[in-house]
Amino acid sequence: MRKVIFYDKDKCISCYACVIACKVKNDSAPIPVCPPEPEPYGPDLINIFQFGPFMDGDRVNQFFQPASCKHCADAPCIKNCPESAIYKDTQFDITVVNRTRCIGCQTCLQVCPFGAPAFDEMGKLTLCNMCIDRLKKKLKTACEGACPAGAIKTGTDKEISIMQGRKVIEKIGKTQI
Amino acid sequence: MIIKSTCKSCHGGCGVLITIKNGLITYIEGDPDHPNSHGTMCAKGLASIQHVNNPNRLKYPLKRKGKKGEGKWKRISWEEALETISGKMKEAIAEFGSNAVAIGQGTTRGYTRYTTRFVNSIGSGNRLTPGYVCFLPRVFINKAMFGGRLYSDLHGWGGEYPKTIILWAKQAEWVNDNGELSVNFLRALERAKNLIIVDPRVTALTSRATIWLNPRFGTDAALALGMLNVIMNERIHDHEFVNDWCYGFDQLKTRAKAYPPEKVAKITWIPERKIIQAARIFATDIPGTIMIGNPVEAQTNATQTLRAIMSLLAITGNIERPGSSVQWIPPPTGNIQVQFGSEIPISAENIKTLTGADKYKLICSGKGGCHPDTLFKELKEGNTKVKVMHLAGSNPLCAYANTRDVLAGILKLEFLSVADLFMSPTAEYADIVLPVAHWLEMDDIGDMPAGFVVSAVNKAVDPPGEAWPDNKIFNELGNRVAPQYWFKDIEEMLDYQLKKSKITWKQFSKRVYLASTGDKQIYYKYKTDYFRKNHGFNTDTGKIELYSTAFKKMGYDPLPYYVEPEESPYSTPELYKEFPLILSTGGRVPYYFHGQYRQIPWLRALQPYPIVQIHPDTAKIHGIEKGDWVWIETQRGRIKQKAKLFEGMDPRYVIAQSSWWYPEKRGPLHGVLESNTNVITSNEFFDPATGAPNFRALLCKIYKLGEDK
Repeated sequence: MRKVIFYDKDKCISCYACVIACKVKNDSAPIPVCPPEPEPYGPDLINIFQFGPFMDGDRVNQFFQPASCKHCADAPCIKNCPESAIYKDTQFDITVVNRTRCIGCQTCLQVCPFGAPAFDEMGKLTLCNMCIDRLKKKLKTACEGACPAGAIKTGTDKEISIMQGRKVIEKIGKTQI
Repeated sequence: MIIKSTCKSCHGGCGVLITIKNGLITYIEGDPDHPNSHGTMCAKGLASIQHVNNPNRLKYPLKRKGKKGEGKWKRISWEEALETISGKMKEAIAEFGSNAVAIGQGTTRGYTRYTTRFVNSIGSGNRLTPGYVCFLPRVFINKAMFGGRLYSDLHGWGGEYPKTIILWAKQAEWVNDNGELSVNFLRALERAKNLIIVDPRVTALTSRATIWLNPRFGTDAALALGMLNVIMNERIHDHEFVNDWCYGFDQLKTRAKAYPPEKVAKITWIPERKIIQAARIFATDIPGTIMIGNPVEAQTNATQTLRAIMSLLAITGNIERPGSSVQWIPPPTGNIQVQFGSEIPISAENIKTLTGADKYKLICSGKGGCHPDTLFKELKEGNTKVKVMHLAGSNPLCAYANTRDVLAGILKLEFLSVADLFMSPTAEYADIVLPVAHWLEMDDIGDMPAGFVVSAVNKAVDPPGEAWPDNKIFNELGNRVAPQYWFKDIEEMLDYQLKKSKITWKQFSKRVYLASTGDKQIYYKYKTDYFRKNHGFNTDTGKIELYSTAFKKMGYDPLPYYVEPEESPYSTPELYKEFPLILSTGGRVPYYFHGQYRQIPWLRALQPYPIVQIHPDTAKIHGIEKGDWVWIETQRGRIKQKAKLFEGMDPRYVIAQSSWWYPEKRGPLHGVLESNTNVITSNEFFDPATGAPNFRALLCKIYKLGEDK
C-alpha cells in the first residue's frame, strides 16, 4: 500500500524539531567537535523554506514549508538513474537508495522537480526513506513523532487527501479580521 | 534497552525514550505516553545526543592556578573542591553573616529546588536567579491577585477548550516558560475560534490569527488598559463573576478611564479599531485564556503590565472555568519546589537585608531571591556585602544587564565557584570549576513548571570523567555547611521529596510519571473550600484583587498603570534623534536556549551567527544588505550581529538575539562582549516592584561593520 508523507505549511511553526529528529535517526554515531566553523553532520533530508512575510489583503502572512523527498509515484530519479541505484520499496512504495550502486553522478538532482536529493560526505545520494523500519513496526516517522504542530502526517495517499479536504472546509469556517 | 526519562534541555520537561546499545545512546525520541508532551520533542532535546558526547565537556574539578581569567587550571579531587568551597562559605558566614554567600542558578530545570534548599539551609537570602525577569513576576502577581499560580487550560479536561486564545508577547508555538508545552497549545489552537496575537513581529502563527496586534515595544500596559477600558465601558464584562468574586472593579474602571482606545492607539501605534475588536472578542467569545510571555516581564513597567493583562482574565470571568485560566491541582507528590525547596525558613533579619529587599519588594521578599543587578553593581562599586558565590548552570555574563558591570562585579568577589557542563565565560573567572552531569547522566525528579505532572529523570549513561549531578553536588556541599538539612545519599533525598505520594524513588523511577490529569482536575475551586474555608480565593479579601491590597501593603500602586519606557521616542526625544530605532533584545530561535547549545554542531549549523532583524526599508537607508555584519549601538556600547532583512515588523524596530557567546572563540571571554545584547542593555532603570531591567524597549542605532562614525 502506497504511503506518502505530507508537510502542512499552514501548521508548520519552523521549530526545526523534524530536522533534528531526522538527524538523530539517520546520522550514524555523530562525533561532534566544537564548531570553529560549524560543520553539519550529514546532509539535511528535510529543509524548511520560508515564504513571506507578504501582504494578503491588509494582513501580513508568513508560512514555513518543510520539504523532503516526495516519494513520487512516477519518480523521475528512478527512471533516470544510470546505475539503477534508486528503486521503490515493495511494501509502501517508498523511494529508497542502494548506496552501493550509487556513483554520485547527481543525475537525480538534475531531474528531481523538488531538488530533494542530498549527498553525503562520500558524494552518495541520501534521501528521506520515510523511516521505513519504523513504519514496518507501525511507529510514526521520527519527524512526525517530534512535530508538536501536527504539521507532518504519513499515511496512504487516500488518507492524506481526505485530511486535506477537511482542512479546506475548516478554513472556510474561520473568518479573519 | 530503552530507558524512559525526562528532558531537561529547557524547562518543558518532555517525556523521552532513550535507546542504549553497548552503553552508548543510539537514539532519542519523545515518549508518546507522557501526559504532557505526548511524544513530541524539540530540536534542543533531540540534539542532546550530540550535547552529551561533546568532547569539550568539563570532566574534572578544576582549581585556578594563575590570575582570574588567565585560563590556567589544576585538576583537583572532589574532596578538595568541596572542602575549599564549603570552607570559604563557612568562613564568610562566620565573619559576615549568611547573606555574604550568594548561590546562583540559571533557568529552572528541575534543580531550582536544590539551589533554593541549599541557600535556605545556610540561612542566606541571596539566591541569584534570572527569575525576576522571567516567570517569577507572573507567579508572584498571580499569587497577589488570584491567590495562586494560573495556567492556561489547554487540555480539555473540563469538557471545554478555549474559544479565544490571546498570545501576549509569547510564541507559544516555540516556548514553554509556563510549563505549557507547544503541543498542547497547538492542539487547543485547532479547536479555538479566535487567536489574538500581541507581538511586534510576524510569526508562523500570524497567518492563523483572528487579530494581530503589534504594539510598540514597552507599551503593553497601555494596550491592556485600553482593552479593559473598552470592555468596562461597553459593559460586556462578566457581571455576575465580577460582582461575586472580584474586589475593586469600580476603582479599576476609574483607572482604565484614563486609557480610552484613541489615546492607547497613539501610545501603542496600533489602530484603534483593532484594539476595540480584540477587546470585544475576548470579552464575548468565552471561555478564553491569555498566555503571557516573558517579554512583558523584561521591561521596567513589568508589574503593572502583568496586572493589567491579568485583570482582563478576571473581568471576563475567564478564571477557573474549563477552557480558561485555572490553578492546577498538583500531582500526588504535591509541589516539590515549595515542600522541599522552600521548607527551611530564613531569618527575618536575613530577608530584610538580602540584596534588593529594600527596593524590589515583590521579588526580593525571601522567596524570589535577591536582585542580581544591584548585587553586581554593589560589588563593582566596592560595596562587597557578598563575598562568596557559587553558581549552578548559570552564566551571569550572558544573563544580566550590562555585561561589563557584571564582569567587574564578578572580579571583585572573594571567591567564586561555578558548576557547569562547559567552560562558560563566567566559569573562566572562577576560583573553582565543577563538572556537572548532563540530564542523560543523572537520577532525579523532574518537577518542571507544568504544575500537574512530575516525571522521573532516569540515568541513561555514565557522565564523562568525574562529572556529578547537581543534586549530588548540593547534597555534598549541604552536608558540609548545614548538615542538619541534608541527606545520607541521593536516594534518601529523592525518597524524601516523594514522601507525600507515598512511593519511593525506586518505584517512581519505574513508574516515571505521576500526574493529576483528566477528572483529577476540578474546576470552579473557589466555589468549594479548596482555596480557603467558606469559599473564595486565597487572597486577603477572599476575592480576585483587581485593586490589590497586597500591593498597597508593599507601598505600590494598588491599580495598574502605564508609564513610557525610560528610553523612547516620547520620553527621551533628544536621545531618539541620536538613536532613532527601537531595540528589543528578545530575538530567539527554537533551537537555542538562552546562552546554551552553541556547542551542538547540528544546531549551530542551523544558525552559526547571531541574527538581528531589520526592516528592509531601514536597512536600505543604512546601506545594509542581507547577511552583513552590523553594529548595534546604544548609549552603553555596541555589539555586532548579522543582518536579516525582515518585512514582518515596523521599520522603526530592530530585534536582536540575546545571550550569544562563541564557545569556539578564545577564553576567557569567548566572544561574550562581541555579540551579547546585554553589553548594550542598561542596569540603571528597574521596575519598582520586580527590579526588572529593560531588555525589550531600548533606543539604538545601526551601521555596517567598517562604517564606524
